[in-house]
Amino acid sequence: MIATIRAEWRKNRFRPAFLVGAGLVAAITLLVFSTNWYQALHPGTAEHPVLLASLYADQFVNNVMGAGFPLGAAMAIVLGALLAGSEYSWATLKTVLVQGPGRLTTWSGRVIVFAVWMGILTAILFGIGAAYSAVITSVEGHAIVWPAVSEIAQGFGAVWLIFGVFGAIGLALGVLIRQSAAALGVGLVYLLSVEILVVRFIDTVNNGAYKWIGDLFAGPNAQALIGHVSGKTNGITISAEQALLVLAAWLIGLLIVAAGLQRVRDVT
Amino acid sequence: MENTTIVETHSLTKRYGSGVLAVDSVGMSVRRGEVYGFLGPNGAGKTTTLRMLVGLIRPTSGTATVAGHAPGSPAGLKKIGALIESPGFYPYLSGRENLRVVADYAGVSQKRVDEVLDIVELASRAGRKFGTYSTGMKQRLGVAAALLKDPELLILDEPTNGLDPQGMAEMRKLIKDIGQGDRTVLLSSHLLGEVEQICDRVGVISSGRLVRQSTVRELLGEEGVLVRAQPLDQAQAILARMFGPDTVSRQDGAIHLKVKPEQSVDVNRQLVNAGVGVSELRPFERSLEEVFFQLTGEKQGS
Repeated sequence: MIATIRAEWRKNRFRPAFLVGAGLVAAITLLVFSTNWYQALHPGTAEHPVLLASLYADQFVNNVMGAGFPLGAAMAIVLGALLAGSEYSWATLKTVLVQGPGRLTTWSGRVIVFAVWMGILTAILFGIGAAYSAVITSVEGHAIVWPAVSEIAQGFGAVWLIFGVFGAIGLALGVLIRQSAAALGVGLVYLLSVEILVVRFIDTVNNGAYKWIGDLFAGPNAQALIGHVSGKTNGITISAEQALLVLAAWLIGLLIVAAGLQRVRDVT
Repeated sequence: MENTTIVETHSLTKRYGSGVLAVDSVGMSVRRGEVYGFLGPNGAGKTTTLRMLVGLIRPTSGTATVAGHAPGSPAGLKKIGALIESPGFYPYLSGRENLRVVADYAGVSQKRVDEVLDIVELASRAGRKFGTYSTGMKQRLGVAAALLKDPELLILDEPTNGLDPQGMAEMRKLIKDIGQGDRTVLLSSHLLGEVEQICDRVGVISSGRLVRQSTVRELLGEEGVLVRAQPLDQAQAILARMFGPDTVSRQDGAIHLKVKPEQSVDVNRQLVNAGVGVSELRPFERSLEEVFFQLTGEKQGS
């Protein structure tokens, strides 16, 4: 297992898709903080007023949480689909499996390295967010006060979980479809369109009698978790506990289904 | 006593859905230390059979033992190196880095990477990205990966596919070198010359069935006699009466007779006595190509 994790890490540590993903997370974080700072300094340029104090270091967790969904989720789907699907597109899965590590061991190693990469992306998001908020705080002449460690850990864990869940959708689609391009296409369409429409439809049927079904989808729960952690709970009806449970169920379920597919299907 | 057979299959069958029968009751045996040619036209079932031997595909029925283990078992795969169809590597990594990844999966020391790069003569270009490799270099890297475990059994599936004549000659030499000593090589190919030059024994597969398994010598050694005579029809009728219609065939204006060359004297006597003029009478040895086309029912030149 250790050797398999080492192999997965060796091949993915400098993988262009992950490096580009990391760069995008960094660039988007910088852009969002820059835009908010400009709008805070120029009242009237923003649709909703941005308070300068909301950009200070003590608020940085709340400010970076928004990147978790849908933007970060979309990126996680793309990376998951690329990681799993390209093993089929490049015919590397057969090269790996004939070395003898075992199908489930290979899958487990891949999932672990993917989780590490999702953690790295989350760390970049939080690291740049913290650094930029510290710069804003200093430039505006205020003392830097950081949020409590528990608050940072909670936020970090929530975003990591969301990246993991949507990355698992990409991974599962990559294994199911056995190629990367179609898998990431299907994943993105699901995230940005299908799920939204389906949930909206379910929520309106019979005056919301079946809303509990809509509340079991990954997207609404990711939004709810972000809302609870960042204290923006307006309009959120899903509890933090349910959001955690549902997202964990999605994560585990998707990884088990994909592992089963990889274990039983022929590699042609 | 050590088992002399390294690959043994019994009634190995693969059926896709309820329709396509890709491999039909194949019973093959590969002996330790030999270079075994697995010969068959495209689509005959060679790759499907090899994929079953390494556990990539599960058979519908039948059994196989490879290197003393069930196909795909980690213990068996430790002793097997395989290049199945086209070499599959990560295009954004260099050749050397790809081999390092494969070595990690195989649990092989990283030192072995440079050794196998030397064997396949790719060391000087191992720093280039796999995506920029030529077909020949990709195939060499595939062979290098298969050699990482210093395997008892090396399975190479059409390793000369897509290579130019020089590349094919180099690959043949490489396989011959690799096959020296105790290592067993199972080489699949549809290139008859390749198999004839490299292999000790061959198995011929056609439409999913193993139609022949023997040494190359035995396969080619089905001797015969070539007869050119006038009138040819009369000569054919006489010879068919003498030896049976199944032993007589016509090809390129001559009669091919499946009898021992020592019987040429009888053949000549009977034809001359019947008033047939014999212009040529000589032993002939069939080429592997002829045997192959006969066994597989394929048409020559089609």
